[in-house]
Amino acid sequence: MALEAINGVSRYHSKLDDLGEEMVIPEIGNLKNQYQLCTPDLPKSECQIGEFLIDETGRKIKLNYAHGTTTLGFKFNGGVVMAVDSRATSGQYIGSGNVKKIIEINPYLLGTMAGGAADCTYWERVLAKQCRIYELRNRERISVAAASKLLANMVYQYKGYGLSMGVMIAGWDKKGPGLYYVDNNGNRMPGNVFSVGSGSIYAYGVLDSGYRSDMSDTEAQELGRRAIYHATHRDAYSGGVVRVYHIKEDGWTKITEEDSKDLHYKYAEEKTKRSQ
Amino acid sequence: MALEMMMSGPDYMRDPRKHQFSPYANNGGTSVAIAGDDFVMIASDTRLSRGFNIFSREQDKVFPLTPKTMMASSGCWADVLTLNKVLQARLTMYSHEHHDMMSTTAVAQLLSTMLYWRRFFPYYVSNILAGIDEEGKGVVYHYDPVGHMEKLTFSATGESVSQIQPLLDNQIGGLNMLGVKPPTMTKDLARQLIHDAFVSAAERDINTGDGIIIHTITKDGKTEETVKLRRD
Amino acid sequence: MSILNYNGGCVVAMKGKNCVAIACDLRFGVQSQTITTDFERVFELGPQLYIGLPGLATDTQTVYQRLQFRIKMYEMREGRRMKPQTLMAMAQNLLYERRFGPYFVEPVIAGLHPSTKEPYICALDLIGCPCEPADFVVSGTCSESLYGMCETTWREDMEPEDLFECISQSLVNAFDRDALSGWGAVVHIIEHDKVTTRYLKCRQD
Repeated sequence: MALEAINGVSRYHSKLDDLGEEMVIPEIGNLKNQYQLCTPDLPKSECQIGEFLIDETGRKIKLNYAHGTTTLGFKFNGGVVMAVDSRATSGQYIGSGNVKKIIEINPYLLGTMAGGAADCTYWERVLAKQCRIYELRNRERISVAAASKLLANMVYQYKGYGLSMGVMIAGWDKKGPGLYYVDNNGNRMPGNVFSVGSGSIYAYGVLDSGYRSDMSDTEAQELGRRAIYHATHRDAYSGGVVRVYHIKEDGWTKITEEDSKDLHYKYAEEKTKRSQ
Repeated sequence: MALEMMMSGPDYMRDPRKHQFSPYANNGGTSVAIAGDDFVMIASDTRLSRGFNIFSREQDKVFPLTPKTMMASSGCWADVLTLNKVLQARLTMYSHEHHDMMSTTAVAQLLSTMLYWRRFFPYYVSNILAGIDEEGKGVVYHYDPVGHMEKLTFSATGESVSQIQPLLDNQIGGLNMLGVKPPTMTKDLARQLIHDAFVSAAERDINTGDGIIIHTITKDGKTEETVKLRRD
Repeated sequence: MSILNYNGGCVVAMKGKNCVAIACDLRFGVQSQTITTDFERVFELGPQLYIGLPGLATDTQTVYQRLQFRIKMYEMREGRRMKPQTLMAMAQNLLYERRFGPYFVEPVIAGLHPSTKEPYICALDLIGCPCEPADFVVSGTCSESLYGMCETTWREDMEPEDLFECISQSLVNAFDRDALSGWGAVVHIIEHDKVTTRYLKCRQD
């Protein structure tokens, strides 16, 4: 701490921090200060992606990536389970079917990704850096509450500029399992059950009907998997691989990564067996 | 002016008009990259166009970055050039500072961060980065215009992406082929696929055509090959 | 979003050696929501005559019913089977009647000539402009991907089995990159003596 004060390391960054004279190429300010993004000389409302993204023929330029998504997370007696799909779409075209929508911030913290893919990966990367710095400064791991608040504060600085993200931050700290929802409006709230994305309405249906706090680990993982699978089936903008993670006292573990095609035919087989 | 005033009355009588700010152009172009165990191939068509006009029939859209990496970008050509210029400057500064070339993985992350810098006024570019990683394997990174990146073994991007990508999924990814193992990638196979993909894209897309330049990167260096496409 | 893409769906037809194939996906959705996955948009209009009607689902059904009515009238009046070329003209008429308030379907016709058994394929736009190429036709939400696949996989004079493989791979791989179609596929291979209909096992997301 003392060294920090002498060297004048600033603890709290903001996008307004002066870049200093060292900056040689102004084009890449966010390499020096990750909070500093290029903001064009336009009213805030016109900075939103889509406002002026029209080429000279008047055709709308498609930029948004990974808008359809299903992600979920829930707390229960055995920890936190998080499950996600892996589809990224731009318009109706499926840009990718194998996106990693659970971001591994550190061995005790996970973040999910819904909304703009670049927004989520960038800010959660910055968050990962801040969490590591916190650990080095304070000799203890950051709490889930603090980590989620760091993220909420970062995106709040760009409120109104058109960031698009709905993320869940989950982990394990002194208080036990933690689960927070953070979005681009600056909302941040703790909770037991969350689902975010275009397929969340379907996932909530499965989740709410099957959720109990006294589930076993495998039951909980299967509930998350099923909820995502049903969402991929009904929602056109969700699909691909279903990933399930489980957070316990000793950190997160990846449980499964299964193609939703395999899951579909597995579940269909189980259904016919049961009805016989 | 006088005529205009007679037609629609003095300007203070008219409704306020909003001027559309449209700083982007779509200059077409398609790129494909395929990685193998010890090589990576990256190719782009050579047509530079806007709408129904062709600006150039021999514009290579693949840029060398380091001896082990190349980047193909297409979209708004002004943005492509600017992005490339700034990226080159960054790489030069890095090599002076560290007396070494930046690794492919580091270039990949740098490009992502640089694209995100312009989050609120994006570079209108579709990028693929191809290179040899630290283990000597070929890798391909695919980007969206604001810097979301994904590591892959093959990818298409640009104007004809929706025509080429399903073919690569099928032929390289082995999707929907029951009981068929995906092939091990060789230079001959990669070259053949790139050729077939561009021929079919040029057949149906007016912004793709004229020729292909295929770049191959191995640990020994880079080679280049030009193939002709239809020019109509 | 265009009204043509509102319900999703796609159709493709190909010519082979003395045979034709027509295939479609099975999704009926409302924008992002998948309602059913058994909605066939390819219909049998004669022993060797099929039509695919991708587009707005309500118009798919209406156009199919109206065509069926007109074909029955034609075949009763004429006392003979309808040629695919005649069906094309009939569909063209039906669509152009609504020139300024069109049906939102882009039909694809595939069939064999009732007497000469000559293969025939054709695609129309939503107001009835026909296109009769020698190789394949595509229509629907993932037409670009279908063009890319068909352009590389199609060859001249394919036998029925090869044609089945070609059209299935083209269709399935194309709609796997499209969010609005998929969820199963059906393929009809039309030969002079028989029609083979197969359902494909597909991704369900």
